[in-house]
Formats: sequence, structure tokens, C-alpha cells
Amino acid sequence: MDGDDETYILLLLSDSNLPTGSFVASAGFESFVKHGFPADWKSNDATTLIFIQDSLETYARSALPFVSDAHRLVDRFKNSLDAAADESHLSDTVLSDISSLDQLYTTMTLNHVARRASKAQGVALLTLYSKGFSRPPSLPKDPSVSKLSDAIAAMLEKLKLMIRREGIDGHLPICWGVLTSALGLTLERSQYLHLFLHARSLLSASVRLNTVGPYGAQQLLLHGVRPLVQAEALRCKDLRTGILDVGHDDMNDGPAMIWPLGELLAARHDLQHSRIFNS
Amino acid sequence: MDTTSSQLLIPKINLGGGRIVLSKDGPSVAFAELSSTYPLKLLSPHVTEDGIAVVYALTYGGGLVGGDQVNLTATIGSGATLVLLSQGSTKVFKTRLDQRKSSNVSARHTSRPQERGEPTTQRMEFEISGDGALFLLPEPVTCFRAAAYNQIQTFRLDIGSSAVILDWVTSGRKSLGEEWDFSRYYSLNEVWVGGTRIAKDVMLLDDQSATIPPLPRRTLRDKLAPYSCFATLILVGPLLQPTIARIATAYEAIVVFKRTTPEDLIWSTSPIPADCGSGSVVRVAGKEPEAVKRWLKDTLGHLEDVIGTDIYRRAFL
Repeated sequence: MDGDDETYILLLLSDSNLPTGSFVASAGFESFVKHGFPADWKSNDATTLIFIQDSLETYARSALPFVSDAHRLVDRFKNSLDAAADESHLSDTVLSDISSLDQLYTTMTLNHVARRASKAQGVALLTLYSKGFSRPPSLPKDPSVSKLSDAIAAMLEKLKLMIRREGIDGHLPICWGVLTSALGLTLERSQYLHLFLHARSLLSASVRLNTVGPYGAQQLLLHGVRPLVQAEALRCKDLRTGILDVGHDDMNDGPAMIWPLGELLAARHDLQHSRIFNS
Repeated sequence: MDTTSSQLLIPKINLGGGRIVLSKDGPSVAFAELSSTYPLKLLSPHVTEDGIAVVYALTYGGGLVGGDQVNLTATIGSGATLVLLSQGSTKVFKTRLDQRKSSNVSARHTSRPQERGEPTTQRMEFEISGDGALFLLPEPVTCFRAAAYNQIQTFRLDIGSSAVILDWVTSGRKSLGEEWDFSRYYSLNEVWVGGTRIAKDVMLLDDQSATIPPLPRRTLRDKLAPYSCFATLILVGPLLQPTIARIATAYEAIVVFKRTTPEDLIWSTSPIPADCGSGSVVRVAGKEPEAVKRWLKDTLGHLEDVIGTDIYRRAFL
């Protein structure tokens, strides 16, 4: 895939109208504000930025290793397809690894509200791939790519089936890694875009919560979120889950929750007397 | 693959090693082994409750210095209950190398975590068989300014055994103005039930975040304000089902209305999703460690029926 193709995919994926479920998730922001946080800042603008800063930092540290490993798995699958005699065996292997990743994410996400949101958004992404990104029947098949795309589509269908039968949860970071590799984005772009979308959906949530106006949100997105996404993508790009790598140093390079206050407030989401988000 | 658990198997006692092997012996319990080496010291006071043993894990001088390693393994047989306590909070002093550096003002600017000395590391591995039970109820860990601490705890339970796992940390010596001023606190709690990992709780607190212009720098203290104590409580197994149910009921009764300032203490609970044996994770944050302790003591109060009033009061002095 050349640069123009990748840019086009980036444009598609950053469309805020995609039905990815992010519009009902605030990742704990609604609860944070409701509980009287932040403790020491009272301007709404600062509140929004502070939450995005702390939330993105802990999300990157805990979820990005899963994005990376899921993406690497599907990349590996794509690269071995040509040489593989037995395609279905290959897809079974990658699905079993994806399932291990997903289980690990479940055991590390010890917050039922975050788990619920992550599952809903993950499944939405897979549906988006099969319904929104597959080649429409009205167009003729492209013989140069069809073997590869058929194999990927078949593998993703199996993954959806595994999730529907409750075998695995299908968490957002894992499904994101799978989807972006399937669409041909590089790992680096996938990581960056994932963090950007997390930050942007927090800004959409803050507009709905009225902690910032629509223009203010745009200002923050351009001037505040940009350096933040860059810094976190750089900091967490080499973190891994340990599922794929022998000799992995989990204590230093593994996923970790780094903001216990945010974790606690996010888990308290359902206790709010009235709420507009699901998380 | 996960490498942390294999490193925990110590064939014989190493520096700072400890071994506890507890099994049922008639109506009471007996230690097949209870041994430790410097700087760890294990003491078991006489208690009168049947089937229960209390062990205090102590360190000489009441704290751990940079680079100290503690490896403790405990095996609890079916029908036996181990209550593992500490005496006073576990104090973690700053790393040795960093101590030398701090006397040299110019070195402060070059001081990065990987250039500092070895962090203090405490590893504990528990195996609980049959309907055995573990009550791990230590005092909180207190990391002093510039201290680095890793705590790695693995719990392997049979289906049918139970565990209460309390893991908590304070912001430091508030009397000396320390508030989240340590350099690293890493805590891993891995819980396996019947060979399946049901929880891997990894919490990392470090104050290494660099300033990202033009954004204001967020220190650990900023991120955790106004709280100075965080506790994680993991409850697993049949013995804890009444406790889990009570906590869930109390939690569901909470209604949050819009506040302008944070509460002095907040807590949450989430069920652990698992096919074999249910459990829950409780997190507590408080402005004062004492308030968190009171909350824990009240919330776990009816465990007095399980381990006896005397032992329960030892845990929550």
C-alpha cells in the first residue's frame, strides 16, 4: 500500500460519523465531572484538558500494547498467506492468539464499566469492517487483491462468530489492531490514530457534557491534543503484552494501569443519579 | 509468555527468602516449614482459633532499603487458613545509588530511573489447596521520596479455596511534606483459580511523565489529588461470597449527585468475570490512610466470624 492509499484509509477511519460506539462512551469523564473533579482546577476548559491528559496517558499505557500485538498478529497472517498451503490452519492459529490477547485484556481490565464499553466498541469495529469496508457486490472483483482480502474477510468472520458465541469478548484495542492491519495501515499509524480517536471521542463527550463548546473542542484538538497524542504514541509504541514475545520484560514494557483515581471514578459511572453516557 | 511466575520458584532460601508451609493437623494447623533469611523475618504468634495460623512478615529495621529483595512462598493445605500480616506499614527507602547522587546537586538533573540503583523488589507466591484460605492483610506500603519499589504477588487457588488480598499504598511521609514523591511503585497481583488466570491487576505509579509543551505538567500528586491512599482488595472463593454480596449491595445503594468538591473517601467494586469461582475487585481512595483503614475494617467486619475477633483485630489495629 502506498502513501496515498494509506492517507485515504486514514481519512475514512477518522470520520466522526462511523458507527463505532464511541459516541455513547465518555471513558469515565462524565463520572469524573459529576464527582467534583479535578480537585484543584475549576475552569471548564482546564477540566477537559486535564481529563484528556490523564485519561489518554493511562489508556495508552494499558491498551496500546494490545493494539500493537493484535496488529502484528494480523500482519503476520497476511505475510504468511502466500506461502501457506493450509489457509484455514493459519487462520485458526492467528485466531487462537487473538483469543489469548483478548482474554488477557479481560483479566487486566478489572473495571466492569470499562469492560462493557470496550466490548461494545470492539464488536462495532468488526461489524464496520464486514459491512462498511468490504467490496460492494456492484463492483467487479479485483483479481490482484482478492485472494488476500478474501482470506482476511474469512478470518474476521470467524472472529465475529467466536465473539457472538461468547467464546471471547472482542475488546476495542484488539479489534482496532485487527481492523487496521486488515485495512493495510502500518502499526505506527494504527497506534497514533487509536490514541487520536480516544482523545477526540473524549472531546465529543465534553461537548455533550457542556464542559467545552464545539469551537473550544476544536481548539483543544488542534493545540492541546496533538502534542499529547504524539507524546503518548512515542512513549508507548514499543510496549507489548508478552503474548507474542519470548523474553518480554513485563515489569517495564508490559501493559499497566497508571491512574487509579480515574479507574475508580470510571467504575462508579453507573452510580450517577442521572447520566447521558454508557461509560 | 509471562515470565514473572517462573522466577518465583526458589529451590532453596535465598537472600531475603521465606517459606511457609501450612497444613491441617487434626482440628488445628501445623507448619511443616516456617523459615526466613535476612532481611525478612517470619513470626507466628500463638492463636486459639482452630484451623487458623497467623504469620507476621517483618523486615529488620521496619523497612526495605533500595535493592533489597524479598522472596516469600507460602503453601496452604486444604482445611488450613493462613492470616499473613505485617507490623506497621512497609517502608521503602530510596535506592542506594540515588542516595549518593542526591548529595551531588549536579547529578540530580541526569538522574533517570534506569541510571538509579536496583529497585526494591518483593515477590510473594501463594498456593492454596482444597478449601484452604489466605487472608493477606498487611499494613500499607509507604514509599519514601525517590524510592523505587516492585511488588509481584501470585496467587494460585484450587477451585474451592478462598483468598482475601489487600494491597495498598500511601503517598509517603506526609509529616515530612512527601506526597506521591517516590520514583516508582509497581504492583502486580495475579490470581489463578483452578489453573485459569482470572485477574491480572497491574498498577504502576511513577512520576516520570515529561512536560509536553504547551500543556501544564501533571505530576503524580496532581493526578491523584486529593487522595493520599489507594487500596485494592481482591476477594475470591466460596468463603468470601457473603462478603462479596454485602459489598455489592452496599455499592448499588450509592447514588451520586453532582458535586462541586470530591468526597473524603470513595470506593468502587467490580465483579471478576470468570467461569470458575466468582470474585470481586474493590478499590478505595481516601484523603487519609486511617480513613481507608477504618472503611476496610468496617466493610470486612463480619470476617470476624471466619477468623475470630482476636485475629481480626490484629489485622486492623
